[in-house]
Amino acid sequence: MQNTVSKSQVMADQTVTVSRLEEVVSTSDEFDRVVAQALPVLLDRATGYTKRFLRETGQWNDDIEHEKFALRWGSEYLERFLVCGRSEVPCRPLFLFDSLVAKQHSKPEPFCYHPDLLRPLGRFLDGLVARAVVSRDALIALYRHSYGWGAGEVIAVTGLNGLESQRIYKNFRRWRESGWQRTMDEIGLTKTELAELTSQQQRQRQRFNGEAERLIRVAQAHYRKSEPDHYPCLSRSQWREMFTQGYGCDYRIWHLALCLDCMQTAWGLGSNGSLTEEKPRLELLVRP
Amino acid sequence: MSYEEDLEAYRSQLLQSLSSPPSRSVSGVLEPIQVYVNERRVGELEGAGMDATLHVKSLDHIETIQLRTEDGTLLGGLVAPEYGYRTSRIQLSSDAVELCVHNTAQGGSLNAVFVPKPSFWSRMGKTLADVADRLAIRRPDAAIAHSMRTVAFTQALLAVMVVGLVLDRVATWMGSEQMLTSGIQPEALRTVSVTEMGKLEQQLGELARVQEKVGEALDLQVKGMAQLHQTMAKLSSSHESVASRVVMVKEEMEKRQESLEPETDRTTPHPASRGAMVDQEQLEVAISSLTEDNAKLSRELASLEERNQTLTAKLHMASMNASKAVDPNPERLLANQADVARTNQSLQVAETLQNSQTQPFLFWVTFSEGTSQESIDQWVHEKKGRKGSINEGWQEVRIVPPAVPPNLFLEQIRGEKIVKAARISE
Repeated sequence: MQNTVSKSQVMADQTVTVSRLEEVVSTSDEFDRVVAQALPVLLDRATGYTKRFLRETGQWNDDIEHEKFALRWGSEYLERFLVCGRSEVPCRPLFLFDSLVAKQHSKPEPFCYHPDLLRPLGRFLDGLVARAVVSRDALIALYRHSYGWGAGEVIAVTGLNGLESQRIYKNFRRWRESGWQRTMDEIGLTKTELAELTSQQQRQRQRFNGEAERLIRVAQAHYRKSEPDHYPCLSRSQWREMFTQGYGCDYRIWHLALCLDCMQTAWGLGSNGSLTEEKPRLELLVRP
Repeated sequence: MSYEEDLEAYRSQLLQSLSSPPSRSVSGVLEPIQVYVNERRVGELEGAGMDATLHVKSLDHIETIQLRTEDGTLLGGLVAPEYGYRTSRIQLSSDAVELCVHNTAQGGSLNAVFVPKPSFWSRMGKTLADVADRLAIRRPDAAIAHSMRTVAFTQALLAVMVVGLVLDRVATWMGSEQMLTSGIQPEALRTVSVTEMGKLEQQLGELARVQEKVGEALDLQVKGMAQLHQTMAKLSSSHESVASRVVMVKEEMEKRQESLEPETDRTTPHPASRGAMVDQEQLEVAISSLTEDNAKLSRELASLEERNQTLTAKLHMASMNASKAVDPNPERLLANQADVARTNQSLQVAETLQNSQTQPFLFWVTFSEGTSQESIDQWVHEKKGRKGSINEGWQEVRIVPPAVPPNLFLEQIRGEKIVKAARISE
């Protein structure tokens, strides 16, 4: 009886919130206030839209992986709405939010969907690469997670100068301190799942890395589209020219982290011969 | 943990991270701000130096702009209008970023300026300006608003000075009243008062002039700022175009290098061009030999004409002699007749040669599709020829016999742009 009353109370509250979201807000502060009170409603709404998109495109299954995937993207849309919506006042927040989600879903391939990327290893890799697109810390950490390199090796491989080198050390530090944990939280990987991944890595190293390489290629191919248009794959001679001339610092950092093939192609160009090992192979590290 | 509990925990975690406001400063050190246009990273902003501003030009419409920290935290953003301008000031704790996005039919552009936390003195100045601002009319444009604030500040200063002078004046009057009670003559007091009034008026006049000058100077400054902005925008766009051209040239050079690399020997000419050179040499040889032949024929023709004239003269003499007297020796007569016959034969040969030189060279030609009649006429005129009949698309053309052999001449004709085919027989 009490449970029924509380449920009906929640529904009534939601109705009030939704009706408030439908009204015009005139200032940014008012927008913040109204939206902050309606975060759960908006998250559920965005998640619902994402589920519907996945169903309509034949990508949905009734399991927790798909539910988490929809929640993750719903949260992503809501985050963008929170910061961008303020500039749209006066507006009706609910309609603005709906239009923002609809705009995202009208894009070709709005998110990286692959059934194998919904399993723990796939989620880990997808989350890592997706984060690398929006976070330089995560981007630099990709070198660490993919090849096991430290800051010095990343600097040598990418041929960076002194000023850029300092940033790499900071990127590494921040990633270890907070970035990795935050990313794991965002993709919803539990401690149990992470422990299982580590265990798999130790038990079947070769198989684990083979599977990781297959999946990371899928994710990288999708998220590389977020790079600037002028960052395509290059031939070894083009990479050599870039390294010797010393330009394209961002290009090197961004592209080589997000392209296994180009890493093989450009291997050894930035180190002036100090890296004499074989070309790098993917050796996935779960923890930073 | 059950399915629903796991999901609920994840949802709560996401809501919690959405509720916490983003902060830019990490350990008190300011990091560069990453700028994303349409969810693609386009550059970064820093607090000082060249990287304090960012100008981005895009062929596509700009839809969204996002500012993120290096760890990926979304600091702020802007949804751009489909057409026209939108500006926004995004406050980041103490600093701020000013965004100005402009979408046109040709694409979009973004200007991002990092505005660092103001210093103590600038904050003081701002406080004073804010006080003055209440007395002035606010305007949306930042540069005009700034100058208006300064004018308002000057006006406030003037008002304070006027109040001071009035107080001084009141004090003087009070003093004069005291002096009046102490027995000083009213005439003297009036004189002092008028003198001081005159001084006051002068001071006020000076102040008004100073204010005018300040106003003029501010106007000039505003104009100068506007010009500076325009120049900066032009410089920025020209810099971008130069940069894009450099990239294009570089790409072009790379393409050329790539296309040249597979060739093992760069000095070896292309087979096609080598064949063309051989053909040209052969053609030159043929033309020179033909020229020689032509000259030889001309010489022979000239000698034949001389001989013809000689023979004609001889014939004339012979016929005269024959008419004067009949030769008694019949053998000689026969011999003379034979000579005459030979001479006639030679004359016929010479005439035939002359005829072959003067007789027009006839050939048939078809023209490429779409060739206008005017072009055809012009072409025939260039050949110094004359058009004849047309048979099944073949145009008969008569020209002065060419210097080269007919087949070679036809080859030359066929090589011309408007000629589709050429032949001698009908």
